[in-house]
Amino acid sequence: MGRIVVTGIGVISAIGNNASENHSSLQKGNTGIGKAQFLNSKYANELLFGEVKLSNKEMLASLGNSVVSGMSRTELLAFTAFKEAVNDAGLSDTELSDFDTALLSATTVGGMVETEAIHADANTNTTPSPFVNSYRSGAHTLQLAKAFGLRGYTDTMNTACSSSANSIMLGARMIKAGKCKRAIVGGVDSLAKYTVNGFNSLQIFSDEITRPFDANRKGLNLGEGAAYLVLEREEDAVKKTIYGEIRGYGNSNDAYHPSSMSPEAVGVRGAMNGALQTAGLKPSDIIYVNAHGTGTENNDYTEVHGMQQIFDTVPPYISTKSFTGHTLAASGAIEAVYSLLSIKHQEIYPSLNWQTPMPEFNSKPQTEFVANAKVEHVLSNSFGFGGNCSSLILSKV
Amino acid sequence: MFIKDLTCISPQRTFEGDFFQSEPVIYTGSQLIAIEPAYESIPNSQLRRMGKSNRMATGAAMPLLQKYKTDGIIIGTTDGGMEDCHRFLNQIIQYQEGTLTPTNFVQGSPSSPAGGLALMSANSGYNNTHSNKGLSFENCLMDADLLFIEARAKSLLVGCVEEISQAQHRIETLAGYIKKEDVSSDKLYSSKTPGAVNGEGAAMFVVEAKNDNALAEIVDFDMISYPSREDLLTKADALLKRNGLTTDDVDALMLGFSGDVNTDNWYHGFAKDLFPQTGILSFKNLFGETPSASAFATWFAAQLVSGKPVPEMTFQRWSSRELKTILIYNHYQGNQHGFVLVRKPAPSIPQRGK
Amino acid sequence: MEAAELKAKLKGQIIEYLNLLDFTVEDIADDDQLFGPKFGLDSIDALELSVLLEREYGIKLTDPAEGRKVLVTVDTMAEYILANQTAA
Repeated sequence: MGRIVVTGIGVISAIGNNASENHSSLQKGNTGIGKAQFLNSKYANELLFGEVKLSNKEMLASLGNSVVSGMSRTELLAFTAFKEAVNDAGLSDTELSDFDTALLSATTVGGMVETEAIHADANTNTTPSPFVNSYRSGAHTLQLAKAFGLRGYTDTMNTACSSSANSIMLGARMIKAGKCKRAIVGGVDSLAKYTVNGFNSLQIFSDEITRPFDANRKGLNLGEGAAYLVLEREEDAVKKTIYGEIRGYGNSNDAYHPSSMSPEAVGVRGAMNGALQTAGLKPSDIIYVNAHGTGTENNDYTEVHGMQQIFDTVPPYISTKSFTGHTLAASGAIEAVYSLLSIKHQEIYPSLNWQTPMPEFNSKPQTEFVANAKVEHVLSNSFGFGGNCSSLILSKV
Repeated sequence: MFIKDLTCISPQRTFEGDFFQSEPVIYTGSQLIAIEPAYESIPNSQLRRMGKSNRMATGAAMPLLQKYKTDGIIIGTTDGGMEDCHRFLNQIIQYQEGTLTPTNFVQGSPSSPAGGLALMSANSGYNNTHSNKGLSFENCLMDADLLFIEARAKSLLVGCVEEISQAQHRIETLAGYIKKEDVSSDKLYSSKTPGAVNGEGAAMFVVEAKNDNALAEIVDFDMISYPSREDLLTKADALLKRNGLTTDDVDALMLGFSGDVNTDNWYHGFAKDLFPQTGILSFKNLFGETPSASAFATWFAAQLVSGKPVPEMTFQRWSSRELKTILIYNHYQGNQHGFVLVRKPAPSIPQRGK
Repeated sequence: MEAAELKAKLKGQIIEYLNLLDFTVEDIADDDQLFGPKFGLDSIDALELSVLLEREYGIKLTDPAEGRKVLVTVDTMAEYILANQTAA
């Protein structure tokens, strides 16, 4: 069995509506975090968000004829990134509708972004709102399957903030085991009153721009977005642009607390070790780490602590959440796309807003853009509530 | 993969009771409410926070996790703690996005049962949650199958949980997926009206890579969304062929008849096209409809191939054949279609003593 | 409100907000460490207790450091309520 390679990418986030816009913002160090324009919440003006710079209407218009009725913002984001990825990989309609084409997606908020509609449908409506089929988990995956004529395996994962790392992992594993020929993998989450209030109730928002790995970090900024990757067997991708390979993956549960991570970093270490093992790599092979780096007290401490246990010398690490905010179920896929861009262009993007070293560690994130870097292997971490820890290794082919 | 052990909390007396020795519980109305046990395996310090789906998942899974050493936990649930979700949503509106209680938010996440089980059983192995509407159980099986193929696990806890939340029930009713009139569950299939009846519960399995005195074997599974009638037959046929079976090897079909006049024709068509003579069993007149219905069907089929008597009200077409191989075909709301093939395992080869 | 009456009421509310299944009002002493081993509470419970203070007593705990000083025992909570209460 040859390698599992990435032949197409699609991404929409606060720093761009497609892969090339995202790439340019990463190179320039331009964050997308600011005041929210489209979020319907009282916090829209009080807090900072990584909001996609398109209204639902604009996304609808640019999607053209692939649109089906009653699409929530979550679905619009998913469709935008999905379409870019399959076009980028040059997948034909026949390939899309092949029984051997799988779709593995992820979301946490899904159609619950339509707070008012869901509340009205649950309480007062006598005729259903247009979003009535969008609320439940898995709805966007089903919509994608329907709109693009997919007839193969479909899956939607929800392991909170590590969700789309798991959909990438499972897609790669399916191809490796011969369960499908190609897989479109990724995830999506939209800024929603539901999640904004949820994270606010847990008091993990920063009232200023997020500062991952800074001693004075105050929490996260919520973001939104979607990213999809087209995974194929290397032998099926001979004439295609290859961004890199999904080389390693690990999944482990921290088994410590519903919403915080163990000081021993049990799950974090388990995920990183698992990824190194499946990749057949030594820790010293990792050129840099695209960290989970949410900018919360708990995450950043645990993550650096975990890295120190794995690496003799901790490699450079960055948090691209300083650009996008925390995009929850989309973050694993968005960060995998960023890792692939850095492999393709042989460069390392900076981690923004860092000033002061964490007192517990003699270590700091990579804060400068590095052009002409030699990027062979990138480790990308994603950790979620419920102790879910996943790591991917993306490598140059 | 092989089912070593299993538990089920459902609207029937499947957990503590004597389901196979007694008459099934008959429900009137559109909600088949789970019969919950006393949850002695869950400490009160944990139970105090749990919504119903967490409680049922934990109550069903913990006895298994206490009895077997498993290498990971894979849960399927579409709605997760939907009641908690709506409580949180209502708080957002009632308190106008003021200070809200985080417990509803955390418990409302579909990933909460799998995370909670890892925590309670101190299992730091593989952990995943599939939340894919009507195919969540088939997704769990894929995940587990891969871990076995990769030799990363020998034994796994796999299962599904769904709860009826009153808000989601109203939404599904509004959308036309739930019956508007009261039916008696023993007359579900003669209702000839649109919509199903809602069910809930948790079906949990310890699955193993090897047959070590297993109760049942999950031979294979497959799925398709938005198929044509022909696609469906192609998939079912391919599933049997790749396992060296023909339609005649299937002793009974277990079909997901829900009493929904709009979508039950899928089952009629499927049986007519591929299995005109085969015995047909149903299960939703016992368990109701849930996105994870095929998990309950698999629990039921596993029990039947291991020799449990068939409850009379589940026979849709009688067959005198001994039930050794059962093909489950279930769809959710006519869009997502899944197959699970369950078989009585061959007697396991005894390990030579050392 | 008298301190004793407040404390009794507060204990009932703590049990209700945190759904403490193993405890009654009588089981909670005024000086029991709420985050000690007796109750098995964690950081989410601390957040639930701040919601309690806001909803029942109109007191908003915004500074986590202040929260850590207030949410210690029934005594410390009652003391803080009496000093800061704006609504009953």
